[in-house]
Amino acid sequence: MTASSERNRHALTLVGLTIALAAAIIVGVAFGAVSLPPGEVLGAVSRSLSGHGSTLADALVVDLRLPRVLLAALVGASLALAGVLYQALFKNPLADPYILGVSSGAGLGATLSLSLLGTSYLARAAGVPLGAFAGALLTMLLVVRLASRRGRLDPTSLLLAGIAISYTLSAVTSFVLVFDRESMTSVVYWMMGGLGNRSWGHVTTLGAMLAAGSMVPLLFHRELDLMLLGDERAGQLGVAVERFKLLALGSASLVVAGAVSVSGLIGFVGLMTPHMVRLVVGPRHRLLLPASALAGAIVLVVADLLARIVLAPVEIPVGIVTALAGGPFFVWLLVRKERSR
Amino acid sequence: MNGRLIPPGDGVPLCFRRVSVGYGDRTVVREASFDVRPGEFVGLVGPNGAGKSTLLRAVTGGAEVKTGDITAGDSVVRLHERERARLIGVVPQSQPSVFAFTARAFVEMGRHAHLGRLESLRPEDHAVVGEVMERTDTARLADERVDELSGGDLQRLTLAQALAQQPRVLLLDEPTSHLDLNHALQVLDLVRSLADGGMAVLGVFHDLGIAARYADRISIVAEGGVLPPRAPAEALDAATISQVFGVRAVVRTDPVTGTVAITPVLRGEDIARAESGMRVGLVCGSGTGASLMRQLVLAGHSVACGALNRGDVDQAVAEALGARLVELPPFGEMDETAVAEVAESFSEVCCIVVCPTPFGRANLPNLHAAVTSGRPLILMGDMGPDRDFAGGEARRLWNEAVSHGAVQARSEADALVELERCRAEKG
Repeated sequence: MTASSERNRHALTLVGLTIALAAAIIVGVAFGAVSLPPGEVLGAVSRSLSGHGSTLADALVVDLRLPRVLLAALVGASLALAGVLYQALFKNPLADPYILGVSSGAGLGATLSLSLLGTSYLARAAGVPLGAFAGALLTMLLVVRLASRRGRLDPTSLLLAGIAISYTLSAVTSFVLVFDRESMTSVVYWMMGGLGNRSWGHVTTLGAMLAAGSMVPLLFHRELDLMLLGDERAGQLGVAVERFKLLALGSASLVVAGAVSVSGLIGFVGLMTPHMVRLVVGPRHRLLLPASALAGAIVLVVADLLARIVLAPVEIPVGIVTALAGGPFFVWLLVRKERSR
Repeated sequence: MNGRLIPPGDGVPLCFRRVSVGYGDRTVVREASFDVRPGEFVGLVGPNGAGKSTLLRAVTGGAEVKTGDITAGDSVVRLHERERARLIGVVPQSQPSVFAFTARAFVEMGRHAHLGRLESLRPEDHAVVGEVMERTDTARLADERVDELSGGDLQRLTLAQALAQQPRVLLLDEPTSHLDLNHALQVLDLVRSLADGGMAVLGVFHDLGIAARYADRISIVAEGGVLPPRAPAEALDAATISQVFGVRAVVRTDPVTGTVAITPVLRGEDIARAESGMRVGLVCGSGTGASLMRQLVLAGHSVACGALNRGDVDQAVAEALGARLVELPPFGEMDETAVAEVAESFSEVCCIVVCPTPFGRANLPNLHAAVTSGRPLILMGDMGPDRDFAGGEARRLWNEAVSHGAVQARSEADALVELERCRAEKG
């Protein structure tokens, strides 16, 4: 294959995914308790951009549905991006922020900062993401530490440590909530992974965190490829392994913290999406990273749509939808991995 | 011939200065001091677990340099990873890949240290990748997935990946362990030509013969230390091999390659403890006694071989096994001293086996000494005209022995049975 035909194929993949994401967003906005024709969605957006938005339907689209759907897209992209990073850094196809306990750590960090700093605007806007980031990073370090034996990271220990830490931190979160009954209901609902009642402020926060967290992975996509060959080999081929790992884990923690602080614990998107995308585009991160982010966005927009319409007008937390699909997927991966031994 | 594989400019030596390396609290190799000069191929050999791979891994940070310094121009521990990767290429023991890179993408990873942050592969990078894949016979695999390739293909791709770095120093950890004979020779010839082109090459080898054939100098790693590299013929003599590997081996010059060839004969540990052993005399030569000698030594007996010419197969085996012998120069005949020494050594044995050796004037004194020693004789085979090149004298001695009660044996197994009987009779 020549370099230029490869580049064309890459461009085609990304353009295709972008179009699919745009379609998913329009459909996601159009459907709900009150359904609108897709054309109406575009109309509402253009009217509001030109400053003429005034009807109730326009307000529904622009103030309620659109931020929610965009947020779903950003959360999906963040989780998928983090999944790609973890899978490359740990050379473990079963790694994902939820299974590694990082999501729970971010959740605990967010909960703690809510109950310590109160629910003022500043606490919600800055404290929650910061607390989530600190929680995610510390949890990651703890899990890696627990799973390492003499500098070696055993893949099974990593998953076990992640799951154990995940449960422990969830219990600690519940424990904190027992003392803080005021925020209990909303936090519990938030922790289940929901996208209801989200505003443009959430979209900006997560957008900024995702943009910051994507810098390292996109600039260092070749290092991620090399990490798949093992730490020592990557070092021999010119990667400053320890420094790079820290940078990449920091980036992953940042996007996970962003996703968790706006939408709670949503599992398995970070596991499933990179897997499916890798099957189609191969393991090279230059394409895998953006393709997974786009696919993760599509997955979560669709999952959120399902969460809203399956039992309408009752809404299911979207985390339940992804877990219902992702749990069996995880088991399937485990079984396949065992069989191939 | 080495086109893009070796960058122009001066070569760089790889120097170990009183280097101790290990992992954590454990020191595996102590005080290693040696150099690999540009244009030189140095082989590291030694028993498993002696620290050969650890020594290699220490160069690129995979094992810890505890004291001393490894330099390739500059101290390697102070080099930035990128600089180091442009200077030193490594072919580690290969491990199966689990991710589905294409073979070409896999080799292209070797270019990483030459590329800027936002740069993709440039035409010259593609040219280097193309050439290394050509030279390692992997170009036809370019679009295959590495997780579906055989161990040998992956090993050659790993070499290609290391050569894509265009290193001045090349480290190899058993680079031919998964290769068939043809590919092994191809890879070693390639590495040899890179060394001849100015690269400094340090390779770990299990196969002593391969190391002796391709390396300029060989260094032995054993018991936590590294012997200074020496020419293969000096580094690998029978005594060293016996001491380091616990294996008795015949070491000779291969007539075809002109390099040291090593034939392991038996493991030191397998030699039965000698309480039950007896002294056995052996009249042999031209390889007729080699196999029996090996079995006798394994059974714990000590062997005296009479006189043998240097260069004779049985002489080499006797030397490897520590059998007693009177050594003659190549094609030399036995003088009076030699005759007396043989007679003396045969007088101390409890039985003498005459192997199916042809006899001529040169070795007839061995047979004479055996027949006149008064020891019980076991004669192997028949003494026909195809064996007697001493004008009937060998046949005369043979008949004399038979008339004095010598036993005849058809095979080595027979001979061993007769030996046991002989011992039983002696009590």
